[in-house]
Amino acid sequence: MSVTERPAGAPIPAPVPGHALVPYGQGRIRGLDADALGTHGTAMDRLVALGLPVVPGLTVPTGSAASLGEPDTARAALELVEQLSGRRVGDRSRPLLLRLSASASTEVAGLPPDLAGIGLAPAVTGDLCAVIGREDALHDVWASTLRMTAEYALDVPGAELDDALLDAVSARARADALLAAVARHAGRTYPDDPAEQLALAARAVLARWASPRARRSRRTQGLTADLGVALHVQALRIGPWDRSGYGTAVSRDPDSGRFAPHGSFFRGVRRSTPPPQPPSHPGEPLEELGPAAALLEHSLLTLERHLHAPVRVDFELRDGEIALLSAAAVSRPPLRAAVCLAADLAAEGSLDPEEAVRRVAPGQVQELLHPRLRPAAADEPLVRGLAASPGAAAGPIALSSERALELGAAGTPAVLVAHETTPADVPGMLAAAAVLTGSGGIASHAAVVARGAGTPAVCGAEGLRVDPAAGTVRIGDRVLREGDPVSLDGRTGAVYAGTLPVTVAGPPPELSTLLDWADGVRRLGVRVNADTAAEVETAVALGAEGVGLCRTEHQFLGGRLPLIRRVVLAADRAARDEALLALEDAQHEDFRALLTAVGNRPVTVRLLDAPLHEFLPAPGEAGDPGAEHRAAALREANPMLGLRGVRLALLHERLYPAQAEALFAAWADVAATGVRPALEVMIPLVSLPEELAAAAAYVRGAADAVAARTGVRVPYRIGTMIETPRAALLAAELAEHAEFFSFGTNDLTQLTYGFSRDDVERQVLGTYQERGFLAASPFARLDPHGVGALIRLAAERARSVRPGIKLGVCGEHGGDPESIALCDDLGLDYVSCSAHRVPVARMAAAHSALRGRHDESGSTR
Amino acid sequence: MQPAAVTGTDALDEPLTEAVVDLVLRGMWRGRPEAEYRALADAGLALVKGPVVLPSEPAKAIAARILRVPAGSEQEERITAAYHAFLPVNRRIREVCTAWQCRPDGTPNDHTDSVYDAEVREALEDVHEAIRPVLRRLERVLPGSGRYLTDLDDALDRFDDGAVEWLASPLCDSYHTVWMRLHQELLLVLGISRAEDEALEEELVGGSRG
Repeated sequence: MSVTERPAGAPIPAPVPGHALVPYGQGRIRGLDADALGTHGTAMDRLVALGLPVVPGLTVPTGSAASLGEPDTARAALELVEQLSGRRVGDRSRPLLLRLSASASTEVAGLPPDLAGIGLAPAVTGDLCAVIGREDALHDVWASTLRMTAEYALDVPGAELDDALLDAVSARARADALLAAVARHAGRTYPDDPAEQLALAARAVLARWASPRARRSRRTQGLTADLGVALHVQALRIGPWDRSGYGTAVSRDPDSGRFAPHGSFFRGVRRSTPPPQPPSHPGEPLEELGPAAALLEHSLLTLERHLHAPVRVDFELRDGEIALLSAAAVSRPPLRAAVCLAADLAAEGSLDPEEAVRRVAPGQVQELLHPRLRPAAADEPLVRGLAASPGAAAGPIALSSERALELGAAGTPAVLVAHETTPADVPGMLAAAAVLTGSGGIASHAAVVARGAGTPAVCGAEGLRVDPAAGTVRIGDRVLREGDPVSLDGRTGAVYAGTLPVTVAGPPPELSTLLDWADGVRRLGVRVNADTAAEVETAVALGAEGVGLCRTEHQFLGGRLPLIRRVVLAADRAARDEALLALEDAQHEDFRALLTAVGNRPVTVRLLDAPLHEFLPAPGEAGDPGAEHRAAALREANPMLGLRGVRLALLHERLYPAQAEALFAAWADVAATGVRPALEVMIPLVSLPEELAAAAAYVRGAADAVAARTGVRVPYRIGTMIETPRAALLAAELAEHAEFFSFGTNDLTQLTYGFSRDDVERQVLGTYQERGFLAASPFARLDPHGVGALIRLAAERARSVRPGIKLGVCGEHGGDPESIALCDDLGLDYVSCSAHRVPVARMAAAHSALRGRHDESGSTR
Repeated sequence: MQPAAVTGTDALDEPLTEAVVDLVLRGMWRGRPEAEYRALADAGLALVKGPVVLPSEPAKAIAARILRVPAGSEQEERITAAYHAFLPVNRRIREVCTAWQCRPDGTPNDHTDSVYDAEVREALEDVHEAIRPVLRRLERVLPGSGRYLTDLDDALDRFDDGAVEWLASPLCDSYHTVWMRLHQELLLVLGISRAEDEALEEELVGGSRG
């Protein structure tokens, strides 16, 4: 309702025009909060309080926003902004315009666009364009304001306006066409008077906020339909093109996360709050700001220290001077930025290192360890394009969609290489391991489709030339043929010839710092499950304190499978011992490499645990009828619960002694070089104390044999896996023979539930989770009530016999943050997980310790 | 390497003609029954790769010939005007799809920030508002093109019903998929190459920004 329609004598909401006008910086003094000032009003208050430069302006608080639609209030607002900025609308030498915006009490989407260019009239545009030095910028802004004012405050049909705009060829013609459409349809002309324009603009903004479109948007965000907005009237100062404009900046570089103002600068007249700006829309870099960049940097730093968060500002540049238009903490900062900020704040003492650790969730650690290409020193990228869709991949080149489909169907996903992509290439892109294009940007069809399909992509690789007839493509300086391998990283844009290994990257330096702090906080140790020297090296670099599980099964596979087969199927003792001897030599080499990589850290070596059937030949392939017969006799109905682990060792009595001798001899070799790994020998699948006693005797015998042979008495501990419920229940008896336990939680979970993992994961767990029986797969998250209770009981019973017994977990659960917290609560000594989960486990263990401290401090209060 | 293919349009009956055009504009058919593509494949117009049917080079040439409006005609001039209005919005839809998939810093959008997603939806609404008058004009000069607005409306409805893949997924008739088809038809109708198209879009977008 407009003021002119109000019946005479009705109460006026804002009795004194101008009373409800709150200049930026005065909201808090007047006792107003975000409910009244909107997020923008409070942000401007904060900037003023921090002494940072802001654009002059004022807020019409939420409750009285509608009063700005009345000419008196609008005139008072105009005069106040003129006073605050020391300029006057209509002044030709130091021109001023107004900009109207709205904000709600919290960050919301779907606010009406800002209306800039209030105060323009046909008679003055010429002078202003002369000041700016361009024509389009001003008219563009004006056309948007006219378009919205006409539709929402003057009721001109939208279709009429659309038609008027489609027929106009220049920005100036669009503004003229809209003025004409208003004159034609609104029964009045668009006013020249700036106060009247402001009143109309206020009505348009509020009507747009009440439109079906805005209501739909509020509904999808779960906001109340009648949520109010505050209005803000800002000075929009006009300056010359080369020294004026607007832009946005964030405090941190999105890639590195380091403090480095990053953003875009656009010349001309600011129009509206930028919509989420896609990275393809770069504007000009901030360096173009010239000397003003220093003040921008200062502002960002001040705000970061104040808000303890990465920040984002909108700014205006006019005649080379910068002023802030808005500032806020980045709502979802990129992870690297959050991590770097936490490290920075802690390093300069404004944040407790423990608090910095608390800020990074264990799961986020994993996100920072992206798979990436690992180029050798000699590998130079062929070309660097735009990083269009994240991920690293390698594959043979396909120059057509058809070829990519064929290769994909054959099981070798290709890298689809094309100068440009059309709809016809979509199937090929879906079948490809990665996509490389020569044209197009981050927002090209190829990039949109690749991201939609989760396919890594590099776009806009310059100089890419496809020759379909020859079946070749020139990438950089090289000509490659269809089928030649290439590798690309969709996160960096780098493209390499050949097949590069794809690996998990090490943590960036700031994360390493935080992880070091995390190490200082946590009680629980973190080890790695690693079988080879290479895996150990990777894990040690990622912070593993030792090896919690070295499986020895792989030492019997591949080329050594015939040897172990001969052991298992040997017709006589001599044949078996000969095969064993050969195996022992091979294992000796493996162990020597492994122990060298382990260095002075602890390493738990599990003696052979594979079920027998893995070593048996397929029927008919045993070689001779006797072996065939013996193999048939050894086949089992349920090998996973049959002749396996310690049971196999007790039947083939030379197996464990041979393994242990290889291990001890390797230790003696390595010790001679000055390295002394803390050796832990582990017996698998024990359920009877007698089994452990017998296996331990083999190991002792092996140590004696090596001592006799080499003169070195190898120090070691002997222990057992706890992976059957009976072993957990008999922990006290087992602890008589064991110096450490490692809970094999994969098998312990299977046997406690009576779940066959492969079968229940396929058929049962999904339903159970849907029905709410299980919150998570017990194979992903350690079951605290059943399996966890067994571990607790075993730990108690074992410690009652051997108080110092070392307890760890070596199942896949060792890499799951919640399971790690449970292990911490159960008082275990360490968890052991796969190499790439080691940083996650370090952080999870620290979080668990911090939570424990928090709980304690809470309970003492 | 190419199978023997019909080269002229005369040899094609009407359903086959429509099918060729549809296949070329869509770029592929997925999971269609064999009855729908057998004739095309037999005529060398379609390549069958497992569940996917692709147009052959001759099919693309035929579709281009069928769709092309007479050069220099008034119809061409009017469609060109609509195409020029289409191009700046074409840039914006790709930006919207990108914003839906990636946050401004380039990290994947995990859709946990409802305010951000609602902002993108607003930008999509702006695009839809901008393309609607263009398509209404196009419909008057290019028969059959009215279906694009219907299909875009459909995709938007499904998106708003919570099936968010209807914005940018290449596996359904999403907003982006329909848009690509519209773009492809405009290019074939006007006989414009992708390179010319890109250059013109750049010029029109750059021009309106100055």
